[in-house]
Amino acid sequence: MMTRTRYFVVASLLVLGVGVGTGLVAYYVGFPAGAFTRGDGPDELRYIPRDAMVVAYADVADVMASEVRQKLHKAIPFQENGQREFQNQTGINIETDIDHLVACLNPDPSTNNKPGVGMVIARGRFDEVKIEALMREHGAHVEDYKGKRLVVSDVGDHPTSFALSFMEPGLVAVGNTNLVRTAVDLHQGGDNPQSGLASVTRNEELMTIVKSLETGNVWAVGRFDALASRAKLPQGFAERLPAITWFSVSGHVNGGLRGVIRAEARDEEAANNLRDVVRGFMALGKLQAGSNPQVQLMLQSLELGGKDKTVALSFVVPAEVFDAVTTMIPKHLPEKPQIEKQPGH
Amino acid sequence: MSAPRTAPTLLGSAARILDLSLGQMLWSRRSIFLGLLLGGPVLLAIALRVVDTLYRSGFQINGARAGGAAIFGMMIWLLYIRFIVPVLGVFYGTSLIADEVDDKTITYLFTRPIPRSAVLLGKYLAYVVCTTLLVLPSVMLVFFLVVSTGGGSVAAAFPSLLRDFAMLAIGLAAYGAVFALVGTRIKRPLIVGLVFAFGWEPAVLLFPGYLKRLTVAYYMQALVTHEMPQDSAVSLLMQVFREVPSVATSLLALAVITGVTLWLAGRAVEHKEYVLEQ
Repeated sequence: MMTRTRYFVVASLLVLGVGVGTGLVAYYVGFPAGAFTRGDGPDELRYIPRDAMVVAYADVADVMASEVRQKLHKAIPFQENGQREFQNQTGINIETDIDHLVACLNPDPSTNNKPGVGMVIARGRFDEVKIEALMREHGAHVEDYKGKRLVVSDVGDHPTSFALSFMEPGLVAVGNTNLVRTAVDLHQGGDNPQSGLASVTRNEELMTIVKSLETGNVWAVGRFDALASRAKLPQGFAERLPAITWFSVSGHVNGGLRGVIRAEARDEEAANNLRDVVRGFMALGKLQAGSNPQVQLMLQSLELGGKDKTVALSFVVPAEVFDAVTTMIPKHLPEKPQIEKQPGH
Repeated sequence: MSAPRTAPTLLGSAARILDLSLGQMLWSRRSIFLGLLLGGPVLLAIALRVVDTLYRSGFQINGARAGGAAIFGMMIWLLYIRFIVPVLGVFYGTSLIADEVDDKTITYLFTRPIPRSAVLLGKYLAYVVCTTLLVLPSVMLVFFLVVSTGGGSVAAAFPSLLRDFAMLAIGLAAYGAVFALVGTRIKRPLIVGLVFAFGWEPAVLLFPGYLKRLTVAYYMQALVTHEMPQDSAVSLLMQVFREVPSVATSLLALAVITGVTLWLAGRAVEHKEYVLEQ
């Protein structure tokens, strides 16, 4: 065999070997999330367990830099103190350190008495040592979970109710310990449906809605019926709730606030009923608006849309409304009383 | 005094011919065509990947975002099964002996003290090795580039890739054997091969009846795990009249097709008198 033919055979077998090996690793172990994919929505969705009932996103940096935020910031002076206190305690400056965050609410398999358990995954710049020291000061302990430090805080009767883990530099998961552990699993192993480990990106219904929300810098999407069934609502009230399956809220905060509230009804009849209810509220709102030009402006922006099973209500809160709000707030609010630190709490 | 020489066995001789022919097959002008043929799907996969990376909406079919596994399945059907595998079979299979005849080098091989059928078998094995080592890496690259787009999972789709590998290797072997027979028996094998692969096979698959059992595609399609694309009226008709034999039947039929056609081709080579045109 000629040398170049031998090289060709070796190269070809090498490509096949590497490919099959990689595939086998993916099949049996799973891939680190993002190894080959870049799906819809923020990357942090890959660490949210698939059974999430609500997923929310906020582009904190964008919101913090928005005109609305600047106006409110000037109008509400005590926030500065609260923000500084939060920074001293956690080492996190909300205004500059967090870029964006993703939050979720998942069902708690251990009980039906709670609406669910939550987790927040934030990307930004964090002082890991300071945050860990603060949590340990408050009684938390450090566990090793698959090579990651898990700072677990025992709260009440639930021994593993709250934890924090820096999954990678600049990425922190905070929330229910089981959820944080799953987030670490997903971060390290990626989606591996064969082993029962899957992220919310595998939920096609939810991801289709997420894709439609990406124009907003804040949004939330959730399974309304799942939430309602776990919310322990009064019997009569629960029966009167509209038959909604999915809901979503998307907003873009900048000079003002522009947003859409969308609901997916069980069928077209339920969607029509819901539209009638919303129309009724809109009419009532217009009656109540009186001569307030800002509120009238806002109500005029309301637009009811959607087709088939979808009901959508878009709205715009113009900058003038925020101007009016800021003028209503007294210039010198009393500072919030400082809560004395108690060791162990 | 030296030991008396023993005649080499059929397999031993075929292995020597395989060694000789593999290099010739790989570094011939036909390789450029082969490279283009197999580079096309990889380039297409790169383009799809770029579209998926640059645009949030990804690659869409009828306004809906297509999943990576579905696109990969479509590429396997349209590019590999319906085009690349039959084309490779036709071009390489028909030329196994015909090229040696055209180049007037067949005499050198036939005057060796080896069975004539070993020449055919060795060349056929070289064809199988050459095409398999080119087609499978191409499919592998396409798989990793395409499957993970549109929220697809490499882990979930991986078992189907292994089945695709097996199916393509079996398909290449079967088509190669059929066209090797055509190449040894018929005067203008390339034209006949093209008519068989792109005339006879698609045509009889469109209609109900037993004629489709006289094709390789009928048995090969039964081994495909991906959904048949409905990209045209022809595909739709194929879907309507699609009879799928069981996997065991298909494997047995393809093994019989490969074995019988290869044996017939070997017999033809053993008995045919090749007259070299001066």
